[in-house]
Amino acid sequence: MTEATKKAAELLKNYDGEKIRIMEVCGTHTHEIFRHGIRNLLSDKIELISGPGCPVCVTPAGFIDEAVELALEHNVTICTFGDLVRVPGSEMSLAGARAKGARIQTVYSPQDAEKYAVEHPDEEVAFLSVGFETTTPSSCIAVKNAEADGISNFSLLTANKTMPGAYSAMADHTDVYLYPGHVHTITGLKDCEDMLAKGMSGVIAGFTPSELLTALAIAVKKFGEGKPFLVNAYPRVVTGKGSPEAMALVDKYMQPCDAEWRGIGVIENSGRELREEYAGFDAAKKFNITRTSGRSNPGCRCGEILKGQCKPHECPLFGKVCTPEHPVGACMVSNEGTCSAYYQFG
Amino acid sequence: MTETVTLAHGAGGKQTSELIEKVFKEHFSNEFFTADDAAILPRPNGRIAMTTDGFIVSPAFFNGGNIGKLSICGTVNDLSCMGARPLYLTCGFVIEEGFEMDKLKEIAAAMAETAAKVGVRIVAGDTKVAGKGQVDGVFITTTGVGELIEGANTSGALARPGDAIVVTGDVGRHGTCILLARDDYGIEADVKSDCAPLWHPVEAAITKVGDIHVVRDATRGGVGTVLYEITKESGVGVKLCASDIPVADEVRGVTGMLGLEPLYLACEGRLVIILPEEKADKLIEVLKEFPDTAGAAKIGVITEENRGRVIMETEIGTQTILPQPGNELLPRIC
Repeated sequence: MTEATKKAAELLKNYDGEKIRIMEVCGTHTHEIFRHGIRNLLSDKIELISGPGCPVCVTPAGFIDEAVELALEHNVTICTFGDLVRVPGSEMSLAGARAKGARIQTVYSPQDAEKYAVEHPDEEVAFLSVGFETTTPSSCIAVKNAEADGISNFSLLTANKTMPGAYSAMADHTDVYLYPGHVHTITGLKDCEDMLAKGMSGVIAGFTPSELLTALAIAVKKFGEGKPFLVNAYPRVVTGKGSPEAMALVDKYMQPCDAEWRGIGVIENSGRELREEYAGFDAAKKFNITRTSGRSNPGCRCGEILKGQCKPHECPLFGKVCTPEHPVGACMVSNEGTCSAYYQFG
Repeated sequence: MTETVTLAHGAGGKQTSELIEKVFKEHFSNEFFTADDAAILPRPNGRIAMTTDGFIVSPAFFNGGNIGKLSICGTVNDLSCMGARPLYLTCGFVIEEGFEMDKLKEIAAAMAETAAKVGVRIVAGDTKVAGKGQVDGVFITTTGVGELIEGANTSGALARPGDAIVVTGDVGRHGTCILLARDDYGIEADVKSDCAPLWHPVEAAITKVGDIHVVRDATRGGVGTVLYEITKESGVGVKLCASDIPVADEVRGVTGMLGLEPLYLACEGRLVIILPEEKADKLIEVLKEFPDTAGAAKIGVITEENRGRVIMETEIGTQTILPQPGNELLPRIC
């Protein structure tokens, strides 16, 4: 541990100022904070809230229903990140659909899904395109590849989301944001500057223990000064302009849309969908899927957990009927989910 | 044309004899290896240990070994964990129709070489051929018999608070190697499996160091799973020091990229050894004399508190729980 990190840790341990709520918006931050035991080190005047930054956790039950419909009623092969397979839909998860004969392929990138479509010309293949600014460009590359390969059996079922809408929706629930370093590697600092203009403070954080401790210490110190602030504590990766290439790529293929966030509701302009000229690659349009909200278990408090209004152990299902082996709420499914982290490290 | 295994090779007739003659007898030949219905063996001196294990790894050939080597290491190491000198092995093959004969020879050669390394004799075997698609390549089951040496008294239930926990080398290699060999991730890295037979280091630990409480080989579930098993069987807690856990840079790189915990990735040549703290340095000194355990390191201690839990002291001085072993990361790893 370097001297600077030691100093940051001391500051966080001994903080005795006004109570401060810090929301880590990124699922990877949540996981790393737990994995390194950072919560155990903080003064009880510092509250960490795990925000809506795990793509699996904010994917609504209706999206799973749509994927199940594609697989079972339209005989479409579903390619997906592994985490989504066990997320409960209204009636069943994709694992449940697989047991009924659906073809569900786990892939590690959208490009792999496109490759699968090339190799299986007799199958219709849809990739479940979830994720934030960091993963959306990759989905767009898959569409670009499909265009180049001249295939027509590949499409995306989109539920891509963007962060700024979520930041605004969460503004009442936190004093300072710990901004996700990966997202702002792509989008640069503009969204954070817009939040600053609205009076919201934030620190852009990296992912190693010392980067996290440093970012948290900056948040606490600056908070004490009483003025809104924005600090880029991940300058080795995040630059002011981000990656214009990635943003241009997304802009070419996708346009903003309203999006439903599980447990939070619809946030205006917080999603991305394929543009009209790429409708042939849009699974919902191609197969005429009705987009629904779906139903979640009424006892599940994932929505409040995502807003920091309740802790996982205050949910009546947590650890009893809802466990990583049998998740009821989405926050229990992904490794990066708040409930999963509390369950595993709690 | 490439010579392959056919259904006739498994029918029990002339071609079966040919297969045994050409492939197995050539490699496994020793004074006890039999063509009769059962091998006749001299009675061992002390108590005997006996174990069996099936191997279905995919792919069958990987960086650092193949299914043949693995099938000997797995059973030899299970015997070794109990302090039993491996004496005799039997092996059962289920081979897919169309499997290349040269590959089968290579597998048999690896088995013979690995067995010779620890002085264990392959004394009997069985070969079945299954139709195309009924098995994937080749599956092997080995059964082993060993004799307990003097001073051997190990069990997962014998860990005591204050004991030191030693691993015999860097963790997570075999799992990472198989994961890369399957080419699912499009990641290129040079990770060699740790697959190795470990009788000699265990023998040295028991005879030269002594008072060894637990020896477990970390296979499918990795070192993390073994430690959780021991906390339950011995009714104790475990405290690890994150910065002391040996992980090869290339393994750390791959697992970091994929969000996997090296402690939960399979090993095929790593033991967890638990013994009184004051003997840990001596054990490590002894283990370092063997190439397959040269990377031995103390990674933590057994504790009275936190029963049933594995606590990790992190690099920033905080304490956190090593999450319980979860769903299987990768099927068909061994």
